[in-house]
Amino acid sequence: RRQADMATFELYRRSTIGMCLTETLDEMVSSGTLSPELAIQVLVQFDKSMTEALENQVKSKVTVKGHLHTYRFCDNVWTFILTDAQFKNEETTEQVGKVKIVACDSKLLSQ
Amino acid sequence: MASGNVSTVYISVIDDVVAKVREDFITYGVGDAVLNELQALWEMKMLHCGAISGNIDRNRAPPASAGGAPGAGATPPVHDLNVPYEATSEEYATPTADMLFPPTPLQTPIQTPLPGIDTGMYNIPTGPSDYAPSPISDMRNGMGMNGSDPKTGRPSPYMQPPSPWMNQRPLGVDVNVAYEESREDPDRMMQPQPLTKDFLMMSSGKRKRDEYPGQLPSGSFVPQQDGCADQVAEFVGSKDNAQQVWNSIMNKQESVTKTLSIEESTIPPVLPQRDGIQDDYNDVYNSIPRPVYLAPSDSLTKHDSFMFQQFFFPGVPTEDYNTPGESSEYRTPTPAVATPKPRNDTAGGDDDDDDEPPLNEDDDDDDEIDDLQDGDEEPNTQHLVLAQFDKVTRTKNRWKCTLKDGIMHLNGRDVLFNKVGIIMFWSNL
Repeated sequence: RRQADMATFELYRRSTIGMCLTETLDEMVSSGTLSPELAIQVLVQFDKSMTEALENQVKSKVTVKGHLHTYRFCDNVWTFILTDAQFKNEETTEQVGKVKIVACDSKLLSQ
Repeated sequence: MASGNVSTVYISVIDDVVAKVREDFITYGVGDAVLNELQALWEMKMLHCGAISGNIDRNRAPPASAGGAPGAGATPPVHDLNVPYEATSEEYATPTADMLFPPTPLQTPIQTPLPGIDTGMYNIPTGPSDYAPSPISDMRNGMGMNGSDPKTGRPSPYMQPPSPWMNQRPLGVDVNVAYEESREDPDRMMQPQPLTKDFLMMSSGKRKRDEYPGQLPSGSFVPQQDGCADQVAEFVGSKDNAQQVWNSIMNKQESVTKTLSIEESTIPPVLPQRDGIQDDYNDVYNSIPRPVYLAPSDSLTKHDSFMFQQFFFPGVPTEDYNTPGESSEYRTPTPAVATPKPRNDTAGGDDDDDDEPPLNEDDDDDDEIDDLQDGDEEPNTQHLVLAQFDKVTRTKNRWKCTLKDGIMHLNGRDVLFNKVGIIMFWSNL
């Protein structure tokens, strides 16, 4: 199988789509419909598919400005918390009071 | 409501995932039915979250647009799922049972090949189905919601809490594995002598919490080598525990209380303790070897060697504790910890730390959140950006980050991006 042993970024599991999948799998495992091993495989595949989709299917650029409240770099993961942030993309500008940004090192995937 | 573009991407991701795991499902012998159910549930949840629009323009039979679901009018027109699901402020509100488990059509339920578990309740809706809540589906769903087998009443083999199977880790070595019985006792050899190689690794400095665990195989038993029976080796117990232990020791009881972290097998006491100082076995991991214990007659007292064994040389087989002088040697390597603490301090003190002042590990856990919790943010979402970073740089207090391939969840909406440049200002205020 291609990509059988690639590491995946699990961070996308925290997104809406990822959480929905996780919940679904959870229920199915809890009810015995699905085995845990298989559920984990589904999640890993989700990681890959999501990463790939973001890379290939999305073409938008966003600018963010804000006040940095917290920063953390641990295990090659940056976590920032911004306050009074402004997100600007081609169409819209949005303001949020507080946002958490979690970012993994993109170089880790391309090893 | 998700934008069309985001929705499209999500749907393609779902399709991609399903297609790629189909092989695995077949390999596992699970079959397509389960896979289809997975996809259906996943999409349902996505719809409920508003992450995808209801216009699923694909060829499979979507549950979304089928049939008139009761009360569908309350939600956006495309959300005409089985049961009215009011997307409350809680983003990931748990769907109702009816939405989770598609109500069974009137045909025979499909049996999934899972042994011993009635999975007939999970049916793949084929074509327009009756999504109205039915007693059967309610019963099945209600009874099965907890993963229990509704027919036999057997509880689910899987735990109810979410994703326990994903987060399972083997329990680490029991930090409180006995080091107490580290002395040989040819007369009362309870178990074969365990490893002795690690003794000299003991640092004489301040013991960390985790220095000791793992030196003995978990569950191994170091036979006591001194005269007196030791009953408790170590525990981070409270003073009560220590008191109980002490009492039991003094009473020469053989049983160890359950509150002890180490269920040491009982060693019948042979020699009473005669040194006049009570043992507080909390001290065992407080690394406070009492410096002056060897009264001449106490060479055989358990806690001398006991403590030494505990702290420094667990499992040392050949200690001769008949000689005070020899025993005193073992005290010297521990200057840093040889500050006797009053027993009560540790006994009643912080139970989390065996031998150190509280690490204050959790001090900062809620700081950053508390600061910002009572702002005027959106009540329902914590805005979140998940991405990969290419570069993060800082100049003085100005940060610049180049992110890519990310999902942003802001103001209840999902936005996908390919490139983000973030400029932040850090302030020391």
